[in-house]
Amino acid sequence: MSYVPGQPVTAVVQRVEIHKLRQGENLILGFSIGGGIDQDPSQNPFSEDKTDKGIYVTRVSEGGPAEIAGLQIGDKIMQVNGWDMTMVTHDQARKRLTKRSEEVVRLLVTRQSLQKAVQQSMLS
Amino acid sequence: MFSRNHRSRVTVARGSALEMEFKRGRFRLSLLSDPPEDTELQRKLDHEIRMREGACKLLAACSQREQALEATKSLLVCNSRILNYMGELQRRKEAQVLKKTGRRPSDSGPPTERSPCRGQICISDLRIPLMWKDTEYFKNKGDLHRWAVFLLLQIGEHIQDTEMILVDWTLTDISFQNNVLFAEAGPDFELRLELYGACVEEEGALAGAPKRLATKLSSSLGRSSGRRVRASLETAGGSGSSPILLPTPAVGGPRYHLLAHTTLTLAAVQDGFRTHDLTLATPEESPAWLPLYGSMCCRLVAQPLCMTQPTASGTLRVQQAGEPRDWVQVHGVLKGTNLFCYRQPEDTDTGDEPLFTIAINKETQVRAGELDQAASWPFTLSISNRYGEEEVTHTLQAESRGALQSWMEALWQLFFDMSQWKQCCDEIMKIETPAPRKPPQVLAKQGSLYHEMAIEPLDDIAAVTDILAQREGARLETPPPWLAVFTDQPALPGPCSPASVAPAPARIHSLPWGRPRTFSLDAVPSDHSPGASRLVAPLPLQRSPRSRGLCSKGPPHTWLQSPV
Repeated sequence: MSYVPGQPVTAVVQRVEIHKLRQGENLILGFSIGGGIDQDPSQNPFSEDKTDKGIYVTRVSEGGPAEIAGLQIGDKIMQVNGWDMTMVTHDQARKRLTKRSEEVVRLLVTRQSLQKAVQQSMLS
Repeated sequence: MFSRNHRSRVTVARGSALEMEFKRGRFRLSLLSDPPEDTELQRKLDHEIRMREGACKLLAACSQREQALEATKSLLVCNSRILNYMGELQRRKEAQVLKKTGRRPSDSGPPTERSPCRGQICISDLRIPLMWKDTEYFKNKGDLHRWAVFLLLQIGEHIQDTEMILVDWTLTDISFQNNVLFAEAGPDFELRLELYGACVEEEGALAGAPKRLATKLSSSLGRSSGRRVRASLETAGGSGSSPILLPTPAVGGPRYHLLAHTTLTLAAVQDGFRTHDLTLATPEESPAWLPLYGSMCCRLVAQPLCMTQPTASGTLRVQQAGEPRDWVQVHGVLKGTNLFCYRQPEDTDTGDEPLFTIAINKETQVRAGELDQAASWPFTLSISNRYGEEEVTHTLQAESRGALQSWMEALWQLFFDMSQWKQCCDEIMKIETPAPRKPPQVLAKQGSLYHEMAIEPLDDIAAVTDILAQREGARLETPPPWLAVFTDQPALPGPCSPASVAPAPARIHSLPWGRPRTFSLDAVPSDHSPGASRLVAPLPLQRSPRSRGLCSKGPPHTWLQSPV
């Protein structure tokens, strides 16, 4: 999942469709994100490449919409509803996920296990 | 017949006939042939006019306030010099015309009047103390109110200026590092010093205007001044001189006000520091008013040429005092207050010590030809000095009557010079060659003490950072335990979250661009170089200053997490 700046990024992704849950006034998805281009990537416990400034899932609340949809902790979010998430600040990422007008968010996420699974299936 | 016409007026009124003559370039034509010193003056005048045009253009093109201040200063100096040269030329032409018409000028003495020798005047270590009131600290709410000041010095037709210095309330006095040197000044010199100052911030009506409007106004010209500027720029390439007395064209450009002035004469010359009084010129309401203490310290020295250059030299035969028959042939050099007697003429160059030296000062008595053996020893003169109780007399014999005359003449001239230059002839005053002008130090705009705080890398901070790094490294495998905090809190604020939620404190790095430092109140104010010796006591370690709402733009130190 490491990238070379200026080169296109290739990753195996999985679609995750999360339906937001209404809790009083807020619509929540039930997970937390970390990372962003304005954050220090060396503190990211989930990334394989410590210079990766992407958005990662740091926590998935139990029984929440994200867990139901299949989001896992440590996933890197590549897109949200078509908006890119690989080159955004932390706040931009949060805003794109928490738009009040959207009840459903469709994410493209990638994880290391996916990568390995594809590689193995290609070898075999 | 001598008729008075406009030409005898020194000041040139706008729109006057003389100004029209300038415009037509007629100023250079003259009915009389120019003597050499006039062409020299004319050349200097042309040079200044060209400099003035350049300064006008530069001023029009300036965008930054400090550049505009420098350009305005050059313009002011050029203007003063031009006025000066023109006045001088007028005076000389007047004198010539008067001479031609045969009328004796009223201010010249008999032709045999002795004139004193010229000398070098040097003024250095100028310092003008300031007297800030406490209201100055508080009324500007920490914004630094700055002034640009410089000195204009004038002796006769020579005008020189010092560098421009930026002054604010952290300075206790205005110090100019320059040595200003005037060559060719007489003992009756009058050194006029003028201190000019201007506000660095926009003054007057533009002060309150919104920024875009202010820049638009300051870069545009009013109709009439615009026409004038265009006219001056057009005629600049032409043959004649542009309208010389064009006022500074920039609307909103800096205006220098005369803050104080004083005049120094020979009486003020001393080989040491002296304090002189300044005459203050601006009232307190003027925008450029500075709280001057009212005096000025400087070191004004003069080196008359008679002290530094040999005034006479030749072969002499000296009779040693007390030995009537013993004559020694020497090469004598009269320089300063001494008559050096060298064995050979070449010794003066090689730097050998002279055979002996005869002192010549105010008390020396010189008599010509007064010797018993006047008949057998013609062309003699005797020099007597009194050392305490003793009177020592040297008798010198010149080679011929003409030589004797010239020696006597040289000695009389020396005595006259000493009487005119007074204290300057006691001893040679040292003049240091002016150091090449350093470019004006740009004073970085500093906030008040309470705005700028810098956290400097200290030993203990580095130790803490190391400890933090080690701890973070150990925790990379397991998710941090404080994630549990997020479990039931849906609406937490964004990245700039309070310190308590993000317990990993901000790494305190030394910032790469070198933040400004805190100046303690007793710091040396004139030392503006960054990275100067650390005057500040190290500030105590502060944890997570970043999360107090100071959003930094440096390398990220946090890895925040937000629930969505």
